[in-house]
Amino acid sequence: MKTNFDLWALVLAAVALIALPFLASGYVIYIVNLLMIYIVLALGLHIVIGETGQFALAHAAFYGIGIYVAGILNNTLHLNFVISIIVAGIVTAAIGYILGALAIRMRDIYLALSTFAFGEAMQWVFLNWTDVTNGSNGYQISPAQFFGFQLTSDLRAYPFVVICAALLLALAVWLSRSQLGSAFRAVRESDVAAQAMGVNANVIKRVAFMLSAAYAGMAGGLYTTFSSFIHPESLGFWTTILILIMIVVGGIGSVRGAVVGALIFGLISELLRQVLSFQEIIYGLILIGFMMFAPRGLFSGQRRRPNPPRRDASASGPTTAKEQP
Amino acid sequence: MTTPLLNIAGLTVRFGGLTAVDDLSFQVQSGQIHALIGPNGAGKSTTFNCISRYYDPTGGSIAFAGEDITHRDASEMARLGVARTFQNLELFNELNVEENALLGTYSYGARRLGQLLRRPSAEHREHAHHLLERVGLIDFLDHKASSLDFGRQKMLELARALAIKPRLLLLDEPAAGLRNREIDKLDKILTELSSKEGMTVLLVEHVMQLVMSISQCITVMSFGHKIAEGTPAEIRADERVIEAYLGKGTRHE
Repeated sequence: MKTNFDLWALVLAAVALIALPFLASGYVIYIVNLLMIYIVLALGLHIVIGETGQFALAHAAFYGIGIYVAGILNNTLHLNFVISIIVAGIVTAAIGYILGALAIRMRDIYLALSTFAFGEAMQWVFLNWTDVTNGSNGYQISPAQFFGFQLTSDLRAYPFVVICAALLLALAVWLSRSQLGSAFRAVRESDVAAQAMGVNANVIKRVAFMLSAAYAGMAGGLYTTFSSFIHPESLGFWTTILILIMIVVGGIGSVRGAVVGALIFGLISELLRQVLSFQEIIYGLILIGFMMFAPRGLFSGQRRRPNPPRRDASASGPTTAKEQP
Repeated sequence: MTTPLLNIAGLTVRFGGLTAVDDLSFQVQSGQIHALIGPNGAGKSTTFNCISRYYDPTGGSIAFAGEDITHRDASEMARLGVARTFQNLELFNELNVEENALLGTYSYGARRLGQLLRRPSAEHREHAHHLLERVGLIDFLDHKASSLDFGRQKMLELARALAIKPRLLLLDEPAAGLRNREIDKLDKILTELSSKEGMTVLLVEHVMQLVMSISQCITVMSFGHKIAEGTPAEIRADERVIEAYLGKGTRHE
């Protein structure tokens, strides 16, 4: 049943995404591009919080580093944007690994606080390292390049953004189903038992930090393909919280949840841009609603089986399996 | 006698002023089921946690298969061939039964990056399924570990430890909290492991009925010291043991 849901969702999404450029205006395309970015950001936070259970709250900082790295490469070297995104991913992966190595000495609320502090410090750097980031005036990004083709509009960037987001989604699903994904979850569930299985919990946590940061960095790189401006104001704690809300409401620990949560809250945050004062109230109401009616999110507890049961391919659930002789 | 599989020499563990284990030495011979018993607080679990490398001993040494493992990391033990279960269950609660058991194959099934980025191989999955069948959990593959009853959770932990393909299986109170029928099943599984597969087992256990039935050798501890060692029959007759247990000899008979 779940597989059917995934299949239909993917088919529908593919049809909609292909048809969209022929039907919609530039503003709608811009929003869809932005939603793709949110999906990649949510997938990144899903890896470190959802899969590995490490409360890292510096996601917006890595997103910002990715934007500035890719933006600077676009402006100065006019590199192919694919290279800019990869470099942004590598730089943030390296920083994420180091932050992970330092931060995992702490747990729970202490880990959350220390990574929060890192995020705030990075926002301060974005604001004050004016030679590089142009500080509080914001940074202008020149159009991204792709083999001589200039991504000068949302529409031109659109296919690239969608394809990159789809690839990163596929990679996230792949990772989640691999033994590395199992190791992430083992660490989340029990450090002690994970060690007994031969899972080096410290290494696994660092890898999770690294991959999470790389996703955020690549989301930043992707942002530069359709946007020409970034202000440090939008790279603060509130952005991290928004992404956290996405994965929590979607259902923590679930890739589907991260994607659906990113779509819902990405859309809400964009639609409410005109009524900024209501934004937080409406977020609050939605959150309260979820806490009351679906405290574990939309797709909670529906963890994917590593493989179908061996005995009977048609046995979709335990009840059927039990009836077997 | 050949080299013992496990050689504990002069093991000492102090927590602050308290000496939990004091100059303890014993050997576990390959292929035997060896029990570590003693009253509560005797230092059995502490010893156990040193062997599985969760505690660092204050002094002494631990050798496994002739290799000094006193300073190894806990996460290296599975690959060396030492598996353990926990006194207070440590399952991956939110993961299903199958994924729990499959994590047992991690230490040899995900060593290279190419393996780590894939699902467990068909062969390893089959091995995990075989073990789940053996402990009676094959019909629960999709169930969350936390949804199982206590007895089944214990069995899942055993299957997960066996999936490591250990040369030494460390069981910390495997029978605690089990019903009689479940203890009989555990007895049968452990006896079979030992006789058919030559598995070496070290267990800490309070359920004397099980200890006396399956062990070839018993080490008795009291207040951090070894006070007796021998076959079940010898231990039953040992006056120091009877004294340590306040004249009760066996608590569950």
